[in-house]
Amino acid sequence: MGTFASKIYRGMMLLACISMLAAFAAIMLGVVAREANWDIQGLDAYAGYSIAAALFLALPETFHHGDHIRVSLLLQRLPDRFRVALEYWSLLAGLSLAVFMTWYGARLVWVSYVTHDVSPSADATPLWIPQITMLIGCAGFALAFADALICRLRGQAFFAENSASNFE
Amino acid sequence: MEVILAFGLIIALLIVLGSGLWIGLSLLGVALFAMQLFTSRPVGDSMMLTIWGSTSSWTLTALPLFLWMGEILFRSRLSSDMFKGLAPWLNRLPGRLLHTNVIGCTIFAAVSGSSAATCATIGKITLPELKRRGYPDDIAIGTLAGAGTLGLLIPPSIIMIVYGVAANVSIAKLFIAGVIPGLMLATLFMGYIIVWALFNKDKVPPPEAGTTFAQKIYESRHLIPVVSLIALVLGSIYSGLATATEAAAFGVAGSLALAAIERSLTWTLFKEGLVAACRVYCMIGLILAGAAFLTLSMGFMGLPRHLAEFIGSLNLSPFVLILMLTGFFIVLGCFLDGISMVVLTMAVLLPTVQKAGFDLIWFGIFIVLVVEMAQITPPVGFNLFVLQNLTGREITYLARTAMPLFFLMLVAVLATYFVQDIVLWLPNHM
Repeated sequence: MGTFASKIYRGMMLLACISMLAAFAAIMLGVVAREANWDIQGLDAYAGYSIAAALFLALPETFHHGDHIRVSLLLQRLPDRFRVALEYWSLLAGLSLAVFMTWYGARLVWVSYVTHDVSPSADATPLWIPQITMLIGCAGFALAFADALICRLRGQAFFAENSASNFE
Repeated sequence: MEVILAFGLIIALLIVLGSGLWIGLSLLGVALFAMQLFTSRPVGDSMMLTIWGSTSSWTLTALPLFLWMGEILFRSRLSSDMFKGLAPWLNRLPGRLLHTNVIGCTIFAAVSGSSAATCATIGKITLPELKRRGYPDDIAIGTLAGAGTLGLLIPPSIIMIVYGVAANVSIAKLFIAGVIPGLMLATLFMGYIIVWALFNKDKVPPPEAGTTFAQKIYESRHLIPVVSLIALVLGSIYSGLATATEAAAFGVAGSLALAAIERSLTWTLFKEGLVAACRVYCMIGLILAGAAFLTLSMGFMGLPRHLAEFIGSLNLSPFVLILMLTGFFIVLGCFLDGISMVVLTMAVLLPTVQKAGFDLIWFGIFIVLVVEMAQITPPVGFNLFVLQNLTGREITYLARTAMPLFFLMLVAVLATYFVQDIVLWLPNHM
């Protein structure tokens, strides 16, 4: 599933970048609108939704790239046998948490949908629409963990560049 | 009982973090189990609602946008230009370009209200340049870790706004009160660099050739882009054109424009900067989400409130009270971010503090100083996480390099305790 899954991660990253740009645009538009006395409702809320979308949609690719940080002190120093055990533990615990987040993320979207929960600020957006990005992001995160676990079982490398330094 | 519970949770968190589970997920996991075991609330639903609420707020947008600005500056010629401009001026000062960390963070702190954004933006510019010029890593990273926390103390500061509302004191006075301690701390950090450099002459790269005053002025032309960027961001806030949150968007627009003017803005630079900004923000955002849920979980358990009540019931002398509170906030800083610490404990602590005779403005600055210290204390210190992402080093190594700066902050806390005018003089004379 390696290359197909990588395409999904990259596609979600592209959407995350677009969301970041959207947040930037919404904020700049808000400044311009205030100066020009235009009345655009709820731009602040849209900026917030976009930035949340950027965060969640970037989860799998950031994980794939090895950019989520962890304390690797023990991982580096333990003898191989324990290290492998800890790696499996981290991946399994991560997978369970990501699945848990996806499940309850889906519930949140569902509850927002059936209760017609709308944003409290001026935009009055039905909240399930922006919340779907969180659900997709969490699902992608779970997929990435499953992918990493399968790679580990097969003895293949998963992380693009394993916790390499970012500034050299 | 609560004390035992608190220590139990710290140990659980240490074990989970130490096992190598990703940090944001560790915070989420520990919060999840604590809430499941000690409360009867619906865990999963509150978790996702808290995560959504904390990550989709408008005020948070400043952080990713400042991170993006840092990525653009890092990829354009702007950062190396800044060093070219500053180098002749810092040539005579022991420690030379190491001071760029402190100066950069102090200035940037006046732009941003967050220490993570300060640390990441300045570090992205200074660390590669310092390394390229042969400055040793430990001192470069350590001073950045310390100076990055100035984002909280130098106005505008988000945490001061929160404290001002919680304690019902003037936010403007708090902002003003933060100026002198902030500058004092910056001076202490620079003093530390000077002393370190005097004792480690062999580790500082040799000075560049001496320059005349006219040459220095001429070299300073390289500073024009950076200075105009800072002026743009600060100007947009103080002219009322933009709020402190919106100023970050001005920073992004300004850095893109500057890169375009110096003709280094290519499609590749734009794309790489954007993707890198998304990655860094995603990393920090996951930890923020975890911390938000851990805060909620602690709040439901009533842990911070009980601990604060416990301290209040001890009837301590003012000095011991301050020492105890310093320890208390540093321990709480293992789980909670600074703002949540203030929100969760103020209602209970303020009567105790007032009874002990402390000025509430002074206490606000004290809290901010201690929260700054908590930012560079393991296991959970946000500046350390930002640095780990930036350098790829172990958190224990980072904490060790930041240790001297931590003690300097402790000195600053004691100084403001014994000479309270450091904090109170300026607001009282305005």
